[in-house]
Amino acid sequence: MTSGQNRWTLALTALVLIAMFVAIWMVFQYVPNERVMGPVQKIFYFHVPAAMITFLSVFLLMASSITYLWTRNQRWDRISLASTEIGLMFCTLVLVTGPIWAKAAWGVWWTWEARLTTTLILWLLLAGCLMVRGYAQNQDLGARLASVLGVIAALDVVIVYKAVHWWRGQHPIVFKSGEKNPLAPEMYTTFMYCIGVFMALFLLMMILRVTVLALENRTQALAERRTGELS
Amino acid sequence: MTGAGFFRAAGVLAAKDLSIEWRTREGLSAMVLFSLIVLVVFSFAFDLATIKQLGPARLVPGILWTTLAFAGVVGFTRSFQVEARRDSMTALLLAPVDRGALFAGKSLSNLVELLILEIVVVPLSAVFFGYDLMAMLGPMAVVVFLHTLGLAEMGTLLGAVAAKVGRGEALLSTLLFPVTMPLFISAVKCTNAVLEGEELSTVSNWLLVALGFDLLFLFVGLLTFEYVVEE
Repeated sequence: MTSGQNRWTLALTALVLIAMFVAIWMVFQYVPNERVMGPVQKIFYFHVPAAMITFLSVFLLMASSITYLWTRNQRWDRISLASTEIGLMFCTLVLVTGPIWAKAAWGVWWTWEARLTTTLILWLLLAGCLMVRGYAQNQDLGARLASVLGVIAALDVVIVYKAVHWWRGQHPIVFKSGEKNPLAPEMYTTFMYCIGVFMALFLLMMILRVTVLALENRTQALAERRTGELS
Repeated sequence: MTGAGFFRAAGVLAAKDLSIEWRTREGLSAMVLFSLIVLVVFSFAFDLATIKQLGPARLVPGILWTTLAFAGVVGFTRSFQVEARRDSMTALLLAPVDRGALFAGKSLSNLVELLILEIVVVPLSAVFFGYDLMAMLGPMAVVVFLHTLGLAEMGTLLGAVAAKVGRGEALLSTLLFPVTMPLFISAVKCTNAVLEGEELSTVSNWLLVALGFDLLFLFVGLLTFEYVVEE
């Protein structure tokens, strides 16, 4: 990584850090409590953006997996691996924050509702992609197998969502904020702001992870060349 | 490669697998015995009163498809172990045929083995849990075939992935079950409708899910199998 790139990454890190503190302030101080659900509803400002990032990661995973299989350029595999890891992390966040809200609002930690079930299956699929990479004897094989799994996972999620939706019938509580109680302006601002911050966080994590993976590959290649020269 | 050549190659490969199976009968006998054990375990898992109270229509779909999915994992793993034993996968890869044909052939032989297993297991479930199979033979056959097809395709593709990294049933089940979840839901819904004596048209949307799954992953398998098995 050149020093110019380094400076930009550092600037983005600082920006995300400050923006995240502002987001926390907005969620706890600026935005009013929701009338019916009370303060617990505030988890939405983190839960929904996390879910959006999860699905963005899956989309990126599919695109980079296909491109990797097509071009065999390791750059795409690094993006594919990074989006699997980041997707899995945000998916975990969704699965943790969701039940906290559900316990307060619905009275249960978990219900087999379409979105919840789909997210859980998605978590398992992403974990499977990482597992196969871990088991593979070499990086190239892991990259190929994980890319095939990545494509399968992304396509499968769509069918899973449709199937679970029908399986449970209409899901019990539909969160349609647009209709019954339109969001207060502060709520809308905070929500949009949080989405922006999470996008920036995603971008930062992507850049850092891909950079580290690229450095790892380079170090490995150098070490291999060194052993070759010595022997 | 011509279309006729593709089908001939797939047919020859499937015939090879099935004739090995016919001579040893190792895979099928393991699958049949394993299914029998799972069925017995299930009948102990629910006590008699529960079985009577729920009735076969509510109970059998879940038990039947769990049994078949478990037995499938045993079969898919074996189907690649046979190749690994004398490294005959390398020989298959050297053959001047499309890698998609290898996938089609393997899927076909896995499908045939699963169907033979089902000819034993489905009547057994009728005997154990007391429903009249003869009265619903036609619809049952359609439902079983449509869902077994998708299971065989996915089992073949993911079985190859698990075999490639030298892991057997443990990895295959963690990959296969999440991916085939929509198929599993659909299978349970359709079998339930059949056992309730309903027309298949009442579950036409589920049959479409199964058919869509079958076609989509046939396509994906034909395209990606090559990346999984290549050296």
